[in-house]
Amino acid sequence: MAEESHDRKPLLSKKIDKFFTGLADAWNFVRRFFQEVFLPPYEFKEVIHQCYRIGVESLPLISLTGFIVGIVFTNQSRPSLSEFGATSWLPSLISIAVVRAMGPLVTALIAAGKVGSSIGAEIGSMKVTEQIDAMEVSATNPFKFLVVTRVLATTFMIPILVLYTDFVALIGSFINVNANELVSLSTFFVQVFESITFLDITSSILKSLVFGFTIGVVGCYKGYHSSKGTEGVGRAANSAVVISMFLIFIEELLSLQIVNAIRAM
Amino acid sequence: MRGENKRSVVVGIFVFIGIAILVTGVLTLGGQQKKFVRAIQLKAVFDDVGGLQTGNNIWFSGVKIGTVRKINFYGDSQVEVEMNVEEEVAEFIRKDSKATISSDGLIGNKIIVIYGGTTMAPPVVDGDRLEAVMPLDTDRMMETLQLNNQNLVEITNDLKQLTGKLAAGEGIVGAVMTDSLLAENFRSILANLNRASYNSNQMLSDLNEFTSKLNQEGNLFNDLIGDTTMVSQMKATLDGLKATVNNTQNLTAKLNDISEKLNSSENSLGLLLNDEEFANTLKSTLINTDSATYNLNRGMEALEYTWPFRKGFKRKAKAEQEQKGN
Repeated sequence: MAEESHDRKPLLSKKIDKFFTGLADAWNFVRRFFQEVFLPPYEFKEVIHQCYRIGVESLPLISLTGFIVGIVFTNQSRPSLSEFGATSWLPSLISIAVVRAMGPLVTALIAAGKVGSSIGAEIGSMKVTEQIDAMEVSATNPFKFLVVTRVLATTFMIPILVLYTDFVALIGSFINVNANELVSLSTFFVQVFESITFLDITSSILKSLVFGFTIGVVGCYKGYHSSKGTEGVGRAANSAVVISMFLIFIEELLSLQIVNAIRAM
Repeated sequence: MRGENKRSVVVGIFVFIGIAILVTGVLTLGGQQKKFVRAIQLKAVFDDVGGLQTGNNIWFSGVKIGTVRKINFYGDSQVEVEMNVEEEVAEFIRKDSKATISSDGLIGNKIIVIYGGTTMAPPVVDGDRLEAVMPLDTDRMMETLQLNNQNLVEITNDLKQLTGKLAAGEGIVGAVMTDSLLAENFRSILANLNRASYNSNQMLSDLNEFTSKLNQEGNLFNDLIGDTTMVSQMKATLDGLKATVNNTQNLTAKLNDISEKLNSSENSLGLLLNDEEFANTLKSTLINTDSATYNLNRGMEALEYTWPFRKGFKRKAKAEQEQKGN
């Protein structure tokens, strides 16, 4: 199909045509995912395996990142608030920042870097070494086994990782606030939950599902469509990370608009 | 196979803990924001809600008791605020309570504060409407502040004129401040005043000492002031004095009568005192009487040695001698 497009005269320009072709391929890829996900056989074991790799194995890195984010953000916010004599608002500020934006965004970006690249490289190398073709020959649906399982794993593991990140970031923030403002744990968490709403938590989880789905789909798509050769594997891994991160920011922007619209209703 | 099973368990624990964090967060949030408690609805109509939003807190006696449920326009550009208030707290809020809009801290979120209410009124029930009290508007505060600023400008202008006059030496204060002679006089006046005050202090001190002496027990003045029985005694004395004066007056009147009578020659004493002829007659009578008494004495002495009286006189002398010997 790619060779056919090379032979044709470009519709707009070669690059633009390539961009839109890639977009159409991605759309078909996503559509195929939704077709395959509901059809048996279901690869539960592989889903669990991928959940372990994506969720459990990413937990230490994401926890550490979340903890550092909590401490750093608290420290950076303190001078601005202390100008107004409002350092008592730090827990509220941190909770809003972490639950609404920092938690999902940081988790998704870390996961995009760690998981997205891993998926891209793994599937890309399988593609390069013709393991995917071999699976097709052996009557195994490679898309279901490789793509559906990974996308499902990322989609469901990222929200749970976000919850961990939120919790650890708030603990990090508490340690900092406690050390400086001598605020007790109960007071800290009372102020944390005073500022956030159910909409914040719901939007955060829904957003995380979308981020997870994006990381899985982009990683798998880039790996599945990697060109032949070791260079193609590296490029697939790299572009999986870059595009995932880019899309995550776009989605964050869109979700912010949607949530603000709902909040104003 | 065993490795796969272990992995499944770990993933299960991982997911379980994640969901536990979510559930705990949701329950804590719901508990803190009173989402899961039974609530009644109260309403209040404000002219201006000043940026109040759905979900803002309701406070009663400094305790959060609910949230703003809905904000609707009402009537002629007024705003009706529907509030969800905990059912448990409703018995403490009276129907005559008032609702006003305040803020949580100086720059905090808007809140509705329910306050007041008397025990005479029954507790609120679902759907009741509270009396709304408009909060202190920032714009009005600024208007007042602007008025104060204008006043301040006028005051400073007056002050400027005043200080200018002072500096120019106008008026008494200005003259005092600029004229050295006047200042010296003023200083001497003050010195005199100081001395006078010292003297008056001294005088007051003496007066104080004097009054303290008067107040000592046994002193007449102190007894006059302090002794209550003395008043009745003095009263009785005065009554007695009054009676004596009356008697004296009567006596004087009688003495006048007597003296008048003595001046008159119509009675014997008056004649004795006033008639010269009678006095001469009386004088010659007395001389004659004296001469007669002398002759009588000589006759009696002669009689003592004459018989038959001589024996009687001897007996009398003997009896007198015996009486002296006893």
